[in-house]
Amino acid sequence: MNQAEVDTTQLLKGVLDLAVLAVLAEADSYGYDVVRRLRENGLDHVGDASVYGTLRRLYQAGALNSYVVPSDEGPHRKYYGLNNRGRKALDQSAQTWASLSKALNHLLNGRSNGHDK
Amino acid sequence: MTSNDQASDVNTYAASVRAALSDLPSDQADVLLEDLEDHLREISAEAGGPLTERLGPPEQYAQELRAAYGATQVNTRPQDPALRDLPRARVWVTGSEWYRQVRAFLPELRPAWWVLRAYLAVLILVAAFSRGYGLGPIPNPTTKRGLAEILAMGVAIWLSVRIGRRSRNLLQGARFLAVSANALIALVAVVVLGNMHSFAYSELIGTATPEQAPFTAAFAGGPLTNVYPYSQDGKPLTNVLLYDQDGQPITVAKSEAQTSYPVGADGKAITNAYPLTQRHLNGDPVVAPRVAFPPWPAPSATASPSATASPTH
Repeated sequence: MNQAEVDTTQLLKGVLDLAVLAVLAEADSYGYDVVRRLRENGLDHVGDASVYGTLRRLYQAGALNSYVVPSDEGPHRKYYGLNNRGRKALDQSAQTWASLSKALNHLLNGRSNGHDK
Repeated sequence: MTSNDQASDVNTYAASVRAALSDLPSDQADVLLEDLEDHLREISAEAGGPLTERLGPPEQYAQELRAAYGATQVNTRPQDPALRDLPRARVWVTGSEWYRQVRAFLPELRPAWWVLRAYLAVLILVAAFSRGYGLGPIPNPTTKRGLAEILAMGVAIWLSVRIGRRSRNLLQGARFLAVSANALIALVAVVVLGNMHSFAYSELIGTATPEQAPFTAAFAGGPLTNVYPYSQDGKPLTNVLLYDQDGQPITVAKSEAQTSYPVGADGKAITNAYPLTQRHLNGDPVVAPRVAFPPWPAPSATASPSATASPTH
């Protein structure tokens, strides 16, 4: 792991809940598929265990429904989906993220402007 | 990779992850790891290749899982390497063939324990209620007491086996009590058995004069088997009667030698008249040992206690 990857992992930790909730808001999904969709959306360094652990925690916290879908080819899949509580949590976190990223962008822009002078 | 290989790969990997998380409270671990195998199978099926290649070492995977799950009671302090390997060692031991064999065999020893615990329980009771009584591993059936002990053991064994056969399906609380009681018997028995050597020794001395007071003399060099009194000027004395501070006759340990006691006018043996007349097993009389007399100070006016008459000038 290089420094950039370490940084990404550290930053991801705080927002992984939000990312997972956002993916599940699009469509119900199972563990491996959530990982794949996060990676497709540019979160390349998201770890499988992190996603699996996050899913289990959100489920335990009562933010997710879960159901098993039998599959002909492979193992049965445990699908997760948002319930009301999950949707509320997603809305709140999204707002928090929006204001946080706005503030951070502002800070970072100010820094680059300052450098330009 | 064949599907068999994949299955065993998934099982090994999952077992290692579980072992690495074995310090989590079981309810947390249950929720977290509920469908770990299914999840790993999914990855194995879609990604192909061994899981370690795809996910990294299972210990690292477990660490990531732990962090993402936010297990609060996580051990963050650096662990002793020996402790860290403990869960893995446990998995290795419990998975081994000999462990399974021992586990399968142990229940067959149950009846043996039922008998043993009855014997130990009686032994503990005897030890508790008879201080000073010679406690041997096997009761002496020629004495009343030993006979009673043997009878009690018979009854106890019968009871113990009866209890053992009926305790197959105990409730949780009762089972805990039963296990505690068994452990207590075993523990106390260890203490009693540990003291048995000295018990057995006092038994040896005690039987020397069964109808006499239980006091027997002993000294650091081993059992005292005879006493040789001398007067101050070195003359051997005979038939010196010894008594302790309570007025009880002082007797000595029975030695290999045959002792013949003088018989009193009332027909009873006098066991505290020294020196005792003793014969070796081959019939030779036991002779007095050579002794070194202490050098007395020059005779003074104050008469020292002596068997001979006070000096007269």
